[in-house]
Amino acid sequence: HPWETVTTAAMQKYPNPMNPSVVGVDVLDRHVDPSGKLHSHRLLSTEWGIPSIVKSLIGTCRTKTYVQEHSVVDPVKKTMELKSSNISFTNLVSVDERLIYKPHPHDPYKTVLTQEAIISVKGVSLSSYLEGLMANTISSNANKGREALEWVINRLNAEIEEFAASARGTMRNSMAAAAFVEK
Amino acid sequence: MNSVGEACTELKREYDQCFNRWFADKFLKGDSAGDPCGQLFKRYQLCVQKAIKEKDIPIEGLEFMGPSKGKTKNSS
Repeated sequence: HPWETVTTAAMQKYPNPMNPSVVGVDVLDRHVDPSGKLHSHRLLSTEWGIPSIVKSLIGTCRTKTYVQEHSVVDPVKKTMELKSSNISFTNLVSVDERLIYKPHPHDPYKTVLTQEAIISVKGVSLSSYLEGLMANTISSNANKGREALEWVINRLNAEIEEFAASARGTMRNSMAAAAFVEK
Repeated sequence: MNSVGEACTELKREYDQCFNRWFADKFLKGDSAGDPCGQLFKRYQLCVQKAIKEKDIPIEGLEFMGPSKGKTKNSS
């Protein structure tokens, strides 16, 4: 899909069926900088479906985990960069992700995504195991991310089609009414 | 999609609708002058800031600047 389509979808990525754990998205700040780039700072709330016994131990209001995301969209250079990091459990693990969407250099109907993640686990002896587990999850999530945007794009196109169909219906009615009057 | 503060979800939806339209129809086409969503954003922001404080969410070094930063010679 063209870069504009992917970027618009990325801004509205949640909710989608591929990321059911994301339960809340909020914009903390948004502004256009002097060079015309749009900066957005967002807070994502996630709910991981923690077993109820754990919930009863830690208290139900603490089952949400939070991620902060900073994105920059440059409409002239056509780049969208997203950086996100967890803000919950930072004493245990930090996951920093960086995604960049750019138009395909040879095909204007395609977009290229580069994605990287840096995971570090602090002070835990199972650190290499946990890091490996997270790395696998993140790389399978990268594909999920592509599917998620595909889903959002289809949804947006369906909405546009529905709107166009009702507009066509309205126009036909007006034309019929005008033809009737002209007689 | 819900907001982190349950009470803010409706404000968020109104703002999101406004922003998504502006983003696709204006911003990406090179027209970033004028932000029609400023008022909606302010109201939504106040609600979110309150919810974040109440829920004790650890957001560091964040300045709640709102939409006014970056707006230069806009008269709207």
